[in-house]
Amino acid sequence: MIQQLIKSSIIVVVLIAIQLTLIPLVSIKGIIPDLIVIYVVIFSLRNGQLKGPFFGFLVGLFFDLFSGGLLGSAMFAKTLAGFIAGYFYKEDDEEDIFSNSVLFTSIIFTSALIDSFFYAFLGSAEVELNLLGLIFTNGIFPAIYTAMIGLAYSLLVRKK
Amino acid sequence: MELFLRKLFNKLKEYIVLAILLLISLILLPQNKNTEVKKIKSYAFATFALITNAASSIGDIFESSDELEEQRKINAELMLKLNRIREYALENKKLKELLGYKEETDSKLFPTTVVAKSFSNIQGNYIINAGKSDSVYKSMPVVTNDGLVGIVTDATENFSLVRTLHNTSFRISGTIQRSNIDGIIFWDGQNLVMHNIPTTTDIDKGDRVVTSVLSSILPPSIPVGLVVKKESNISGILSNVIIKPFVDVLTVRNVFVMQEIKSKQIDSLELNLLKD
Repeated sequence: MIQQLIKSSIIVVVLIAIQLTLIPLVSIKGIIPDLIVIYVVIFSLRNGQLKGPFFGFLVGLFFDLFSGGLLGSAMFAKTLAGFIAGYFYKEDDEEDIFSNSVLFTSIIFTSALIDSFFYAFLGSAEVELNLLGLIFTNGIFPAIYTAMIGLAYSLLVRKK
Repeated sequence: MELFLRKLFNKLKEYIVLAILLLISLILLPQNKNTEVKKIKSYAFATFALITNAASSIGDIFESSDELEEQRKINAELMLKLNRIREYALENKKLKELLGYKEETDSKLFPTTVVAKSFSNIQGNYIINAGKSDSVYKSMPVVTNDGLVGIVTDATENFSLVRTLHNTSFRISGTIQRSNIDGIIFWDGQNLVMHNIPTTTDIDKGDRVVTSVLSSILPPSIPVGLVVKKESNISGILSNVIIKPFVDVLTVRNVFVMQEIKSKQIDSLELNLLKD
């Protein structure tokens, strides 16, 4: 258990570092994929709806602290992402989800959509945002990009 | 009763845990302005910046030499001088006899690199590898040779946090350079907007927008962007001016910190007021 926690923490720190340094290099019109939410989804699919949100909460805390963002916004968003992904947890057949590319990509898309929407929504409390703009620019487009990366991961797992 | 509650908890434990975690997150949101929270955040991002600094150096493989850095610095200095000259020309036309009333200040530019980007249209922040040890402090403007990028909001010994134009908490006082109209500029999640400007004011598409002399944080005349649109609100009395920033905030990597916080003139005025 402790070993798994240490391993996950190291992976999270590395992923946040990549997210803040290298991922901006692959942006398309200001839209980037979210590697961290993919990892939260994978964790939740392996550990369920109780541990998933808790893990998302901790990852969000790290992200808020390390990125200098609004403390609480990524925590909220990633907790929800972990909860949604945890819903699809199957104790006896977890690998089945990873090899089912369509299902896995859909879960990533849904979780990423909720994550990016709430992250943007909570971070924009000081201004009135166009809700449609918020959903598309800060919700659907980043979620699609993230889902594409998720799909690549799923295909890689299936190949193995 | 106890058994019932236990059963209920077992049935709903996922939802209870979720509610608690979400509640904690929401409670933390208003605490961001708390001094203790700010200290923790400063310490965290400065520690993490050591890692991102190393990671971002991977991108340096294809990057510049010292010579290029020097050229960029000269470019940025020229940009600031050119903008000041442009402003003087406009002033000269209107107020010839008052020439020279304003104090001349040469900003010192400190070249630095972005080591981490929080790539968001809402919470755009950068971490740069310059801090208090390089005489970089809170409220200093960050520019490129094209114009304003953001403001230093937190500085540790070796790293600083920059709030970019793509941050909804970003607010500056700006001026339409041609017609001298002042207003508050902010990021609305999609555009840079100068808010609530009277519709009758003289603003045209293509007008240059610079930082205002009214700003208590930024020095005046730093280029911000060009007016691309003027949108009237429902009543038609007030308009929002949409500005296209000169700097592409998303791709910027090498920046300069203007090591200037407030004008000496303002400082001396404030000191004089205190004496009285």
